[in-house]
Amino acid sequence: MAPYLLLLPALIFLATFTYWPMAQVVFASAFEGRTIGSATTYVAFGNYLRLLDDEDFLGALWNTILFITWTVIPSMALGFLFALALRRSGWLSNIHRALLFFPTLLPLVAAASLFIFIFLPGVGLLDYYLAKIGVHGINWLGDPDLALWSIMLLTIWKNAGYYMLFFLAGLQSLPEDAEDAALIEGASWWQRQYFVVIPMLGPTFAFVSVIAIITAVVQVDHVIVMTKGGPNNATNLLLFYVYQQAHEFYDIGKATAATVVTLAFLLALSALSLRTMERRVHYES
Amino acid sequence: MSFIKTFVGAVALTAFAGGATAAERIEFMFPAPVQGKLSREMQRIVKEYNASQDTVEVIGVFTGSYDDTKIKAQAATEAGKPPAVVLMGANFAAELAMSDLIEPISAVAPEGTNLDAFLNEFWPAVRANAKFDGQLYSIPFQNSTPILYYNKEHFAEAGISKAPETWAEWIKAAKKLTKADGERWGLMMPSNYDYNGWLVQALAMSSGGSFYNTSYPGEIYYDHASTKAALKFWRDMAHTHKAMPTGVTDSKAVSTAFFSGKSSMIVLSTGALSFVRNNAKFDYDVAFIPRNVRNSVPIGGASLVSFKGTTPEQKAAAWDFMSYLVSKEVIGGWSRFTGYFSPRKTAYDLPVMQEFVKNNPDALTAVEQLKYAGPWIATYNTVAVRKAVEDEMQALLSDEKLTIDEAAARAQKNANEVLKPYVESTALRF
Repeated sequence: MAPYLLLLPALIFLATFTYWPMAQVVFASAFEGRTIGSATTYVAFGNYLRLLDDEDFLGALWNTILFITWTVIPSMALGFLFALALRRSGWLSNIHRALLFFPTLLPLVAAASLFIFIFLPGVGLLDYYLAKIGVHGINWLGDPDLALWSIMLLTIWKNAGYYMLFFLAGLQSLPEDAEDAALIEGASWWQRQYFVVIPMLGPTFAFVSVIAIITAVVQVDHVIVMTKGGPNNATNLLLFYVYQQAHEFYDIGKATAATVVTLAFLLALSALSLRTMERRVHYES
Repeated sequence: MSFIKTFVGAVALTAFAGGATAAERIEFMFPAPVQGKLSREMQRIVKEYNASQDTVEVIGVFTGSYDDTKIKAQAATEAGKPPAVVLMGANFAAELAMSDLIEPISAVAPEGTNLDAFLNEFWPAVRANAKFDGQLYSIPFQNSTPILYYNKEHFAEAGISKAPETWAEWIKAAKKLTKADGERWGLMMPSNYDYNGWLVQALAMSSGGSFYNTSYPGEIYYDHASTKAALKFWRDMAHTHKAMPTGVTDSKAVSTAFFSGKSSMIVLSTGALSFVRNNAKFDYDVAFIPRNVRNSVPIGGASLVSFKGTTPEQKAAAWDFMSYLVSKEVIGGWSRFTGYFSPRKTAYDLPVMQEFVKNNPDALTAVEQLKYAGPWIATYNTVAVRKAVEDEMQALLSDEKLTIDEAAARAQKNANEVLKPYVESTALRF
């Protein structure tokens, strides 16, 4: 009984603010409801079927998968490389750490507003420098083939420094003797990183990947500020889709069903990444 | 120490002042679609109003874009705190009235107010969007039409003597003004959501057709010839005539390109007039949107509405504040500050307005274009219906291979899907 009593305070908060709303959303997704006109009617899986029929939703799902893949991997890789490079303390490396961490401190909305002007075709900062090497007038946010990648660029810029912090902390806590042993055995720098450092950082990788995936799915500010999901839904992500269905189109049925799908998607991804990472995790006795 | 004293003193003073006057507090939500300067000016007007009397205290809340303002006002209402006064996108009044969210003005104004005489002081073009089902639901405050801004220096350099008046002249001028490699575009128009639908409507109206059924909110005409002409004109400007960048261009990019001389002509709202006047470092002028078969544009802008669920005292306060905002002096001052035309016709009778118009003839073009203006798209679920055509327009601007027929058919199909619940609710079931 005692362990449950100890869990109770946290459980009350989790139940009120997480589990209960989740149950409510699942329940609500079985009803079709709009603010105007029709009353709510029970439709069982009707809302989910309507989602499958909605090109915008399928597009948003695909965009989200692309977005997760191409923001999580590069920003984690960069974060890890930064951490390796700046592993030893010193004034120079402290300055670099601060600079690389700086984007994390900016609110996403502010960063997105800044990047609108960086991405402006013809007159923006990016095009200004590209013009010097003969590349002209790329419409970064206005071209459906580029818009999502442009937003990814901002996301990677913003998150890499944050993940660097976790990797730095992870590196500090590694026992030095393992690396020293490898060094004495004649392992090259690459071999030491690949066979010693990375496996020992397993828990950090597992943790950061879960954080990074969640961040990629729940951040929506940049989409709202920069493109509103456009051009022609090219940057429509799951969470933005939910927001739009609920608050702009008042299709509560679709919005709740899409929320459930997003939740399930997130849970599955988190479980998967924890599971795969766990196998490579190195535990200290 | 002294800081704490001042703080305590201030708190005591506020408490005392609050107790002594017992002013009716109401919330006023307003958007500022063009620039931050407008929201500061609006806060100044609110402050001035609060200082001018002691029965009402208005709290101004800046709520972002038109679409965002609608979302926030509805969210506040759902949370049980309906805002007494909201400056709402002019075309949303019908939808809000339909869903029983806003009060008819007759329920806010004191009994016996002659609203017909009141509305007659406003330009005819703005009246349709203010009414739903014969009743007045909103009071126009800031209105606009799309307008053509052009760089006179570029025109002189290209040997063009006057602003284009027809689409043929428009295309010719745009091609002539364009320089290779994106160094300069002949024409730029904002194609981000919201602006996009408004301009497609303007081009469709210019081609002679209706855009939607003004008396039945369940019908839209995306696959009609006039809308197709609009889609084609815009698409061709980018792909065929190469006088406009391809892909989607945000309104911020459009104004920036104009100021930096990267675009010779732009289409923007008249609400951007002061913004252009203050930032264009060259000789510019404004003109009507060129016509395909006729001069015709939709109005834009925002009107004052009052959400349902307020107390009678709050309604009285709301009316007092609304009347203040649309008084000739205040509405005229706002028009001079922003560039929006004053929907209240009689404001132009004021000497200060006549003086202003004489010194800034560009302010008059929007007013003259009003003769040819019609209502702005207002249907069931307007934003979703609008998005159906905006998505296709954006696709057309990016994808050269997409045909007009395909795009128009898909816009119509998606819009019909959105309108279906309303259409079904109005049909008898057999």
